[in-house]
Amino acid sequence: MHRGKINRAEQPACSEFEPLLILFAAGELDAAAQSRLSEHLAACGVCRADFEEEKRLLSLFSEIRDEPDAALLASCRASLMDALDREEEGGWWRRGVRALVPSSWLAPRPAWSTALLLMLGFSVGILGPRYLLRSRVATPRTGSISASSPVKPSTDSDTAPLSTLDLHSAEVAGINVFPSGGDTPPQVELQLKAQQPLMVHGTVDNDDVKRVLLDVLRNNQGSDPDVRLYAVDLLRARNNDPEVRMALCHAVHTDHNAAVRLKALEALNGAESQELVRQTLLDALVDDQNPGVRVEAINALRDMAASGQVSPDEHMLAVLRERMRNDPNTYIRLQSAAAIRDLGPSQKF
Amino acid sequence: MGMSIALERDASQAAVKASEEKSLVLSAQAGDRLAFEELVRRYDREVLRLATNLVHRPEDARDIYQEGFLRVYRNLHRFRFECSFYTWLYRIVTNVALDHLRRRNTRREDQAPVSEDAESGTRDFFDRQPEMRAAANPEKALLGRELGVHIRGALRRLSPRERMVFEMKHFQGMRLRAIGDMLGTSEETVKNSLFRATRKLRASLNEMR
Repeated sequence: MHRGKINRAEQPACSEFEPLLILFAAGELDAAAQSRLSEHLAACGVCRADFEEEKRLLSLFSEIRDEPDAALLASCRASLMDALDREEEGGWWRRGVRALVPSSWLAPRPAWSTALLLMLGFSVGILGPRYLLRSRVATPRTGSISASSPVKPSTDSDTAPLSTLDLHSAEVAGINVFPSGGDTPPQVELQLKAQQPLMVHGTVDNDDVKRVLLDVLRNNQGSDPDVRLYAVDLLRARNNDPEVRMALCHAVHTDHNAAVRLKALEALNGAESQELVRQTLLDALVDDQNPGVRVEAINALRDMAASGQVSPDEHMLAVLRERMRNDPNTYIRLQSAAAIRDLGPSQKF
Repeated sequence: MGMSIALERDASQAAVKASEEKSLVLSAQAGDRLAFEELVRRYDREVLRLATNLVHRPEDARDIYQEGFLRVYRNLHRFRFECSFYTWLYRIVTNVALDHLRRRNTRREDQAPVSEDAESGTRDFFDRQPEMRAAANPEKALLGRELGVHIRGALRRLSPRERMVFEMKHFQGMRLRAIGDMLGTSEETVKNSLFRATRKLRASLNEMR
């Protein structure tokens, strides 16, 4: 290479081919230029040596390539999903503030950051008490279950059921569950945020309670994950109700929180045999990014196949075989193999 | 005949893929988180590979990956299909990576020589040589390791843009025009960056001989 450089300086005609050599090695030379270069290379030993050096340079660099390992990729994905969860929890106003005052702008300006914080604190100090006073006048006091809502209380025993419109315009602000011992289902108290605050209470057998809980699962992007976890837990007792089953399947397919998907799968385990349930379990096993959810899907499939609730047909075995070969998680590959061993023979005979 | 059928098949597969991707992007823009996750899974391995080979430290590569995809998520509503989603994604990721490289170049600790093991936490081809060949040829092993360190050093001396162009051209296999689109510059400018990078790397390796 050193020799090439000296000779190139002595032969200025070659210098025009240097960029062509680089582009040729990069596969970016058009046909005309390529044929011009080929003619020159055939006649010029110095450029030929340079071209060999160029190829050697690329080969040396390709040997120090780092291929990101699967563990790093998995950990990056997990961190990103957590960050997206936080992003969604932050809501639109936090995103707006971040867009207006990005951290890259604030970080190198500590004085500005401090001033902004002081202004924010001052504003909150002045405006906060006023807002609290106003909202205290507007918000009903809901100290106990019986004193629930001044507008539309709904219990097991009294009042007209809530309209669908009421429920759709309401957002669940909180769920309180009061265990009632024995086989009796627990009492549930649902606090709804609407134009006027509502409170729904009763057991999960109450249609209003059920309707609110189903709505929480169907519109899962807007509610708190804890509320959705409670909803799944409560609806589990009615997992043979077709509407409930459908909402649980919807949660497995679409909820962005892995804990909710996991809980929904658990709630489906034991539900009456139905194509939708079977397909949901298989979908979760194939598509869910969370290994815990995939493990639960296998467990539910095995339990339900063992109790005869789903039949281990060729499609299910094909999915299990695919997981046994390709799942990135060793435990799931082993569990898939065990499931094929358990379920395969009964299919054959 | 066979070739033309194969080309038609490829073209129709590409069209299906593009339409699938468009519907994923539209769903993600409408707030479908699973659609966004699917888009991430389609491209994140390549993004991480680019980041890893630009910065050589897993923790830095992770930062670029995360910051890149978060910016994509936050700005998804601004994507108007004026270019492919892939190009748009790479435009964002390469900006994040360039910022990262520029910041790192200005930090004093990065200018001091660092042992490769301590720096990357990973062992590459040249680092592996001693274990593989020590018994057979210790001198060759040492040379191999020194060459690896030297090449890494040579790459570090390129400007962030030269390094990015070299990486995207030779190791991500992108066309110069596409690199220009992603970096928001002309093909001619990208060519010049590639020339400069190649010359600097050659000179740097010549010093070693």
